Amino acid sequence: MLKSAPPPRNIRPRRRFKSEWITGYLMVLPSTILISLFGLFPIGYAIYMSVHRWRIRKGGFIGLDNYEKVLGSWMGALAFFGGLMLILVGHWLWTTAFRGHSDWRRWARLGGALTLLSAGISIALGWGAMTEAGEARFLNGIIRTTYYGFISVPTQIILALIIASLLFQRLRGSETFRMLFFLPYVTPAVAGAAVFGALFSPRDERPINTLLSWLGIPPQDWLFEPDPVLELIINSVLVRWANFTGNEPIEVALSGFWAGPSLALITIIIFGIWTYTGYNAVIFLAGLANIPKDLYEAAEIDGAGQRQRFMHITVPLLSPVTFYLTVLGFIGTFQAFTHLYVMRVPATRDAVDTASVVIFDTFYKRNDFSLAASQSIVLFVIILILTLFNQRILGGRGR
Amino acid sequence: MRNLGNRRGRTGSGPQVGEARSHTRVEAPLSFRASHIPLYLALITGAIVSATPFLFMMSTSLMTLGETINRRLLPDVPQWANYVEAWSNASFDLYFRNSVILSVVTIAGVLITCTLAGYAFARISFPGRNVIFTILLSTLMIPGTVTFIPQFLLVRGDIIPWGNWIDTLPALTVPFLSTAFIIFLFRQFFAEIPSELWDAARLDGAGHWRFLAQVVLPMSRPVLTTGALLTFVNTWNEFLWPLLITYTAKWRPLGVGLYTFISEAGPETHLLMAGSVITIVPVLIVYFFTQKQFTEGIATSGLKG
Repeated sequence: MLKSAPPPRNIRPRRRFKSEWITGYLMVLPSTILISLFGLFPIGYAIYMSVHRWRIRKGGFIGLDNYEKVLGSWMGALAFFGGLMLILVGHWLWTTAFRGHSDWRRWARLGGALTLLSAGISIALGWGAMTEAGEARFLNGIIRTTYYGFISVPTQIILALIIASLLFQRLRGSETFRMLFFLPYVTPAVAGAAVFGALFSPRDERPINTLLSWLGIPPQDWLFEPDPVLELIINSVLVRWANFTGNEPIEVALSGFWAGPSLALITIIIFGIWTYTGYNAVIFLAGLANIPKDLYEAAEIDGAGQRQRFMHITVPLLSPVTFYLTVLGFIGTFQAFTHLYVMRVPATRDAVDTASVVIFDTFYKRNDFSLAASQSIVLFVIILILTLFNQRILGGRGR
Repeated sequence: MRNLGNRRGRTGSGPQVGEARSHTRVEAPLSFRASHIPLYLALITGAIVSATPFLFMMSTSLMTLGETINRRLLPDVPQWANYVEAWSNASFDLYFRNSVILSVVTIAGVLITCTLAGYAFARISFPGRNVIFTILLSTLMIPGTVTFIPQFLLVRGDIIPWGNWIDTLPALTVPFLSTAFIIFLFRQFFAEIPSELWDAARLDGAGHWRFLAQVVLPMSRPVLTTGALLTFVNTWNEFLWPLLITYTAKWRPLGVGLYTFISEAGPETHLLMAGSVITIVPVLIVYFFTQKQFTEGIATSGLKG
């Protein structure tokens, strides 16, 4: 992921000892110690903690008990994580395998499609088995984290790309716009969350509900609404239909993964998008400035329209930036904590408790250090798999 | 303001080499055309979405309690007393002082450790350099939710017997005194300093330390500022860690202080917003005066990253 500047030119391989080395080691020593101690060592130590009984003080060795408690069933977990890996295999078969062999390619695609299908089944069955016996609070947290990441990151990236290409038009005042768009990123999350809490207050007279009333939509409970958005929309349509036909309104109640996020979580997702879109736009803007101008000129001479130039020059040449922002976005959203913690209200119980909030509670409120450590390791593994996905699926397109 | 921004010029993209890179700034903006109207409409919509929460916060913080529940856009008479009330209700003066001290200490530490490391990684070749650099960089991929539990035991003195740091200044600063991201940022900049300068310095008998202090640092002001700014914003906005390790108000920073205030303020939205303003304003002031350095620093580091 990290391409770095070229190394200095004066490297000669295989040299004898130089006093310069000492200077080098001395200079990197403070950072190396600090980062190893507070950044790297904790990973290993979290694993060590997760296999011991550990409530405030260390207890005896308990092996993988914690993981069993969290994941529920080993077979389920195996099917789930194996299914995730199968997606990669399926994607590889579909796109890259036997490239250039046209007759084999068709079979590879068929195999790829079948692999993806079985991956989906395996993930669903595995997850089902896990939720039956596993720690419901944490597993539900993973589902909410997934909603959060998979709604927030693509929205941020698409909006940011649009904003960046608008800002790139050399309009008057674009510096001012850039400054405004970036503003949310530097705002302390606690304060920002407090402001959003007031903006999206369930009271009728508050700004967002006032806005809804202008549009003829009844006021919503926002952060206080634990029901899925989908359910709210379907029910409001059903009520209107009932009013129209004069029958009793029917009410539906959705649950499970496909019911989607609660309105409370969506409100928090809106806050996340508000915070990070400008940051992404600034990085996209720098990426746009790096695309050679003559490419566009050449394309224009060849008769490519504005849209074609955008799709065939801008998007592919920006794909390393997109990749970087996606990886960063998923790492960020999967560990998002502050605004979730500040904006959650007791009324919604655990409706917005993502995995990281659950981990914090397990540690801070339940004082079960080893269970929290094992939960954090599970979350870490999921983030690693996601990064791998990004690399294979998004990163591969740029090459 | 505008002149100030221009004088500071381009930043972050490396000395001398930076000129060719920033296309946007070299060309003058286009004059207004009718075809620009939809673009402006889109940008203005976005700007409204970005700015509304701030305007709402400012305006509400100056209202009376009655005005906050009456669909008012602006207060009749600005209630500056709200700030005084919020400030004295929660010990904001203490929190504010704490946040300032934490930021200063962390910035100083980061600038020292990361300048040294960035310089060594960029300009000195020693065995294992790339391995160490890659390992340090890999910490950028490690989520904070994984590291905070062992970090807590570390600062409590459970793992290394250096005593219990909970509720003290070291616990809040030491874990943040060096970050891979800033090392990376500095290394990029130092690597682009022309090697002729180093050759000349060596002819004068200067070693790496003197070259760093007398040649590199003076020409690195922009990137050092960017590093300091990023560290400032991160420290000022840090929440989970101080929440975890401050049991009393003694070293509690603004973010956690505001959180406790939120939990206690209840329906008094105007005071809540006044507290938020107190927390946000220092960051906004720093950002307004340095936003060019800030955004361009982020852009170049992100781009190369």
